[in-house]
Amino acid sequence: MVLAERSSDVRNGKRSRGPSPNGHGSPDSSSEDENAEKIRVGRDYQAVCPELEPVEQRKPEQISDRALLVWSPTSDISDIKLDEYITTAKEKYGYNGEQALGMLFWHKHDLSRASMDLANFTPFPDEWTVEDKVLFEQAFQFHGKSFHRIRQMLPDKSIASLVKYYYSWKKTRARTSLMDVVGEGRNATGSGTGKRESGAGSEQGVSDKDSDNDEKGEGGGGASKWCTVCGILCTQTTPHNSQKLCQACLVHARRTGTMRPLCGPSGRRGPGKQQRYKHRLPRGIYINHDDLVAMATGPQPGDPPQPGIINQGEAMLKAMDREIISLKRQVQQNKQQLSAMKRKVGDAGVEELRPGEPPAKINARWTNDELLMAVTAVRKYGKDFQAIAETLGTKTEAHVRTFFITYRRRYNLDAVLREHEADRGSANHIQQGTTSTEGADNVADNTSGNGTASPQANAKDEKTEVDSEGVAIGASAEQGGPPTTPPKHKPAK
Amino acid sequence: MAMQPHSKKRVCYYYDSDIGNYYYGQGHPMKPHRIRMTHNLLLNYGLYRKMEIYRPHKATADEMTKFHSDDYIRFLRSIRPDNMNEYNKQMQRFNVGEDCPVFDGLYEFCQLSAGGSVAAAVKLNKQASEICINWGGGLHHAKKSEASGFCYVNDIVLGILELLKYYQRVLYIDIDVHHGDGVEEAFYTTDRVMTVSFHKYGEYFPGTGDLRDIGAGKGKYYAVNIPLRDGMDDESYESIFVPIISKVMETFQPSAVVLQCGADSLTGDRLGCFNLTVRGHGRCVELVKRFGLPFLLVGGGGYTIRNVSRCWTYETSVALGVEIANELPYNDYFEYFGPDFKLHISPSNMSNQNTPEYLEKIKNRLFENLRMLPHAPGVQVQAIPEDAVNDESEDEDKIDKDERLPQSEKDKRITGEGELSDSEDEGEGGRRDNRSYRAPQRKRPRLDKDLAHHKDDTNNEDSKDDVKNVSNLEEPKKEATPSA
Repeated sequence: MVLAERSSDVRNGKRSRGPSPNGHGSPDSSSEDENAEKIRVGRDYQAVCPELEPVEQRKPEQISDRALLVWSPTSDISDIKLDEYITTAKEKYGYNGEQALGMLFWHKHDLSRASMDLANFTPFPDEWTVEDKVLFEQAFQFHGKSFHRIRQMLPDKSIASLVKYYYSWKKTRARTSLMDVVGEGRNATGSGTGKRESGAGSEQGVSDKDSDNDEKGEGGGGASKWCTVCGILCTQTTPHNSQKLCQACLVHARRTGTMRPLCGPSGRRGPGKQQRYKHRLPRGIYINHDDLVAMATGPQPGDPPQPGIINQGEAMLKAMDREIISLKRQVQQNKQQLSAMKRKVGDAGVEELRPGEPPAKINARWTNDELLMAVTAVRKYGKDFQAIAETLGTKTEAHVRTFFITYRRRYNLDAVLREHEADRGSANHIQQGTTSTEGADNVADNTSGNGTASPQANAKDEKTEVDSEGVAIGASAEQGGPPTTPPKHKPAK
Repeated sequence: MAMQPHSKKRVCYYYDSDIGNYYYGQGHPMKPHRIRMTHNLLLNYGLYRKMEIYRPHKATADEMTKFHSDDYIRFLRSIRPDNMNEYNKQMQRFNVGEDCPVFDGLYEFCQLSAGGSVAAAVKLNKQASEICINWGGGLHHAKKSEASGFCYVNDIVLGILELLKYYQRVLYIDIDVHHGDGVEEAFYTTDRVMTVSFHKYGEYFPGTGDLRDIGAGKGKYYAVNIPLRDGMDDESYESIFVPIISKVMETFQPSAVVLQCGADSLTGDRLGCFNLTVRGHGRCVELVKRFGLPFLLVGGGGYTIRNVSRCWTYETSVALGVEIANELPYNDYFEYFGPDFKLHISPSNMSNQNTPEYLEKIKNRLFENLRMLPHAPGVQVQAIPEDAVNDESEDEDKIDKDERLPQSEKDKRITGEGELSDSEDEGEGGRRDNRSYRAPQRKRPRLDKDLAHHKDDTNNEDSKDDVKNVSNLEEPKKEATPSA
């Protein structure tokens, strides 16, 4: 299992240096002894095998384990309960899975006692403060992975701690927010309003400028989606005193009689600027005035001081991070469940599980059961006769049409249709309401309509995920879809 | 040997949470962090809770000198990055400095790695567990008084020595892409440990592992080397692994098995050159597990760390007999596994230079060697009489009283060198690791001088052997072997 400097260079060109940071000596002064290429024989090379202990002299119970047992499996606790316990420990008390199980083991697998004890031993919070992290990044830029040198800038950290932090930080630093991506794209095309280091910074800068603008050039045109006071993009605005207000501003205005104070991005901007603004905020990213205030101000007087947390904003971000992680966990779990189900279904797909007889058994005669089902189907699909026929399985589309005409009166199908329409209407309403439910509904509609996830459903779902800024909302969209028909999942191979 | 169905076993797992924090140095491909990544995946897959989890003790110098020399261990214990300069001479002697750098916490790292394997072996001795796992171990290159190939302390040898107290015969299998030279050397002259190594051979580190290296002295025929070429895929690997291991089990009849699961034989490894998938690699674990013997699993190489942790996670699930989903659970290092976030990996389209004919030839040659083994005695405790080793070639009995001389082995081979070298077709084109390759045949080995007088005796009958070699393994392509 060795390398040779040259080897990895040839292979991926990543390494230009030898494996040793202390590398003195050229590759040719190879570290392997020339003779090392033969198996050598002699006292200096072989191990001395111990005598086999005679069976009667063995006392296995007296040998020490030379290891500390920290967890042993138990059959007394069901997997579900254990999962619940771990999730609580993780999300409520900040344990990791190992610590949670350690606690349970310490209590001899007594779930209730362990759960009660969780609060008493909350693990140390991340001992890395924001300053530490910033310092680390700076040091890393200077010295790369020479942890010895980095340590000179962070003398209170051990090398081990630096290495550990490095590995957890390494991948996350590559994370770019959607805002950054859009910002970069715009800078590249040169239409930006100047350099932006980060999305947040630019936002702040521009809003300062904008708030100098005239307050009256407002209100009309395509501004229906922008709150005229705080300027955030929102899905619903309410007219109030010749302004169009978002929910938060409206509440504020109703309660206090004055407009909300402005320190976030200003809403007073002309149509032209609005255009620009629209570009700046990618779909799915919203700024909440209150959050901005929270981010910008320090800890509230009443708040208990939390170690490692400087202001409310940070606490808020931490909470959101936790939420994202928990949602990501959920996403992966769902994916696992989906693939397990898929595997169970096998290659045949859902076809086999579909109720109903093969087309050969199509029969023009309507049984009572079929009639009942047909009415229910109308309630669900309206006049989508094909869908109804598919659901019934024993009738063609033409049969269903005839049924509709014949039984329209008798079963009061018009009323049923109206109910159906009403449902659709409210669904549409919700769709306008929030992005997340839109995704969920779309998936649900598509899947229940066709029985299988159509490509369209895929496309929509993916779009939703992108639109709504990452995993958080994508996750809920996925949860919304029925589990048997995963919207965007390739079968496990 | 009775095969057991895929079954649930009691599994003990050894891990110290500090092990991921050691760092070999900038640009060094060996990353102990991969062990922590594996651990975290196990945890989030819910496999952790199905095993007994142990935090191993730190192996003491006393324990390590059961194999290693005192002065070597003393040296490892005292050297630090800030006092290296005082140890220049010893560093050279013990081969520490380049491939095996001095890093912060080096000795502790060795202690944890060795401590895990020793504790696991102890557990198997107590018959308290059927399968023990130490992914922090598997450092198979370390020699008695020398570091090599990123390995300082040979935890495998220490573990096997512990097992030998309670088990008459221990089988060691090595599926790392590199030859398991440290373990082979340690047990080269004993018949109580059979070492079987599957590895890339020919201009490749460490340079040993020729088909014709079969052990010496009492240990003759107890070292089995399967030299392979680039591009081994799952199918070829299984086609050679299954017959060899079955035959070995049948003839050697081990009472315990140690499997080194070096993951650098996976496709896309930073240093490796095979094309195995996680499934193909894990298949070896499954096959060995089926023999139902006390089973120690250790780690080893593996330099594309996301795949290493995938592989060892999968192999843990195989050991447990639990199926796990292909979708990775969310974990602390989730981002490492993008873009697909799946457990299994696909092979690359690299060509497989191991033809079925080549593998067949190797297999037949090794079968011949295995036939030389005396059939293992029924009574476990009874030691094999010394001269029973070579019952099929009487000539050798006379001369094989003592340890076999490497020099004589060397000499006998010179005859067939041109035809036999496995590396002849790789002379051109800057193969990796070629700096470590030298035509081994011409080198005078390091050997104890007092053994040299056996040389003449062995020559005659060995050259006979050699003729056989040539006819069996003649390769179609014949180019001049590059010799240093």
